[in-house]
Amino acid sequence: MKLHPISLPYRGVSRGFTGGSALFFLGVVAAGPFGLEGLALTVPLAVVGFLAGVAYEVAYYRRFEYELTEDTFDIDSGVVARREREIPLHRIQNVDISQNVVQRALDVAVLTLETAGGGQTEASLQYVGYDEAKRLQSELRRAKNGEGRSERSGDAAESESDGWTGDGTTAAPRDRTDEPTEQLFAIRTQELLLLSVASVSPGALVLSVVFFPYVDLVDLSTIFALFTPSTPQPPILLVVSRLVALVIGAWVISAALTFARYYDFELTRVGDELQYERGLLQRYSGSIPTEKVQTVTMTDNPVTRRAGYATLVVETAGYAAGQAAGSESAVPLARRDHVRDLAKSVEAFDEPEFERPPERARRRYLGRYSLAVGALTAVLYGANVAFGAPTQWYAALALLVVVPVAAQLTWTHRGYDVQDDHVLTRAGFWTRTTKVVPYYRLQTVVRTRTVFQRRWGLASLTADTAGSFSIRKRDATAIDIDDEDAVRLRDTLRERLQGSLRERRERLRSGRASGDADLASVDDAESSVDGDGSVGSPTESADDDDTDGGTDGDASGDPDGTAAGSDDGSDGPDDTAAN
Amino acid sequence: MESLHPRIRVVWGVGAVVAAAVLTVVAGVGIRGADAVGIDLGRVAALDVALPLALGVVAAVLGAAHAVAHYRIWRFDLQEDALYLERGVLTRVDTVVPFVRVQHVDTQRGPLERATGLASVVVYTAGSRGADVTIPGLTPERAQALQSDLRELARESEQQDAV
Repeated sequence: MKLHPISLPYRGVSRGFTGGSALFFLGVVAAGPFGLEGLALTVPLAVVGFLAGVAYEVAYYRRFEYELTEDTFDIDSGVVARREREIPLHRIQNVDISQNVVQRALDVAVLTLETAGGGQTEASLQYVGYDEAKRLQSELRRAKNGEGRSERSGDAAESESDGWTGDGTTAAPRDRTDEPTEQLFAIRTQELLLLSVASVSPGALVLSVVFFPYVDLVDLSTIFALFTPSTPQPPILLVVSRLVALVIGAWVISAALTFARYYDFELTRVGDELQYERGLLQRYSGSIPTEKVQTVTMTDNPVTRRAGYATLVVETAGYAAGQAAGSESAVPLARRDHVRDLAKSVEAFDEPEFERPPERARRRYLGRYSLAVGALTAVLYGANVAFGAPTQWYAALALLVVVPVAAQLTWTHRGYDVQDDHVLTRAGFWTRTTKVVPYYRLQTVVRTRTVFQRRWGLASLTADTAGSFSIRKRDATAIDIDDEDAVRLRDTLRERLQGSLRERRERLRSGRASGDADLASVDDAESSVDGDGSVGSPTESADDDDTDGGTDGDASGDPDGTAAGSDDGSDGPDDTAAN
Repeated sequence: MESLHPRIRVVWGVGAVVAAAVLTVVAGVGIRGADAVGIDLGRVAALDVALPLALGVVAAVLGAAHAVAHYRIWRFDLQEDALYLERGVLTRVDTVVPFVRVQHVDTQRGPLERATGLASVVVYTAGSRGADVTIPGLTPERAQALQSDLRELARESEQQDAV
């Protein structure tokens, strides 16, 4: 199928302008040396550039074909280098739709497909009709779930492929009627306002610096003067008040951005997937397949916490909902109990009871923060000695007052909880993050002890999954727990992983025995997508699993000797040397 | 528990010496450059050669000591259901990699490793942190054997799933 016809003029005009302006500026640069009148060169060049841009887009449009087949999504594209891509449907994790203001007016959208294990988007359709995008989103979900393509959806595909002027405007509503759709959450105005007020993004501080220097109150020169040796030192109060003004500016900008981003947020459950829609100027719609969930995260900050609100983030392999746009979430802000219920509906964990780090960890934080204040004071003093500024370097010592408070807050907000099917970790005072990791999603378990932790007999234990906060690296980690507890916890996680895999395998097997094709295909998809495999270790299954004892025994040898046995067989000399 | 081949100390030690040499050159060039643009380094300027050299020697000694300590701490073990590793001088790290989670296994030989007749095994998982786990300092035969063992153990787990 072709892209929406409107995307030809839309892309053509925008590409034409890019090409035109590029050559225009080239002309401006070149006009001088050739001694030409500026217009004589720039205008024709701009026209050539524009036409080249348009021509490219015509070729792009003519060349671009996509098709949804039985088990792949095929895209043929490329003007210069041609590319034919077949994406297996079971590898597709997320299907996202976005529209900016212009695209909404034209009723077209960008459809992007995400697969596991990639930081980047697998495929992007620019642009298809909005209804066509919706249709593809639901078709893909259906095909992925192994439901096969119903007669009806087959009809829909045909009726569209016989003419690209149709664009599936009629097919979409028909398709969506037979999906069990349930609205889980819609943001209310007061929640949106609270969210806007409570979320301060660091990037906004930069914007604030860029936009507000013209306002006298936020005159940056005062702040710079404090650190410039030769100028007269401004009074510290003036500097502080101007810094505050700067921060307030950042706050306003950040609130406005958040408001636009989460405007009219809505979360629905469609079949096995969560779908969200959001955005004021740019409208997004994305899908989160629940069976691919790696980690569920709940966050709050002092403001939202006080108001009894929290945020829910759902991570799937290689991708967190709407990740590309930064900090996205399954539910941006809702009452804490509501968030907890939603989280539990995604991953059925119990009410958490967190075990805090031992008392000595708190003393450790006390020492650490005092040292930090000391270091800051020393740096300021050093600057004072070297450059004669700032003169009031000792002001930093005032921070010592908040050290005990900070230590206490850090300590109370850290903890972990080991449950039957999940392990939970919690950390952070400003952004308190609670992570729920199902045992069967564990990839590796890592225990780390820094020099300082060893002195206190503490350790950190990380439960790593194939989830995807790769940029921020906020894995589920139990920080500063007693070292012996860490060892115990590590072994527990390891056992539970094997146990839960065994359980899953048995469940799938019994499902298969009763001829349930659904479960089987779900499992196939999973094992190839995120390496889940859904199996126990060879030794354990030989031990505990009497349903298939015969075959397992043959395959893996005696229970205890598997690893050791193959070791001995293949590399006797080295092994003995090492031992 | 298995430790690494003693020759890994040479690999790490040479790496540390190279890094120290680079540091020496950078420090030397930095001081010359500062002199050239007229920044007065006071007494330091008199140590034009001595300071970078001293820095380099200290770095090399620390690096060598680190290599020795690192070798002493490094341990790994093929356990019944997982690969287990212990390492780290300042920050101790131990990692459990369940065989079911092993995606694929590589053997690698860098130039230094080839010169010393050693090899590394790299184990890949889908995890977001430390998605690849490297076991350095193995004899090529041991690396081969370890690779095929791990591959076998990972595949066995998968085959059972297919049943």
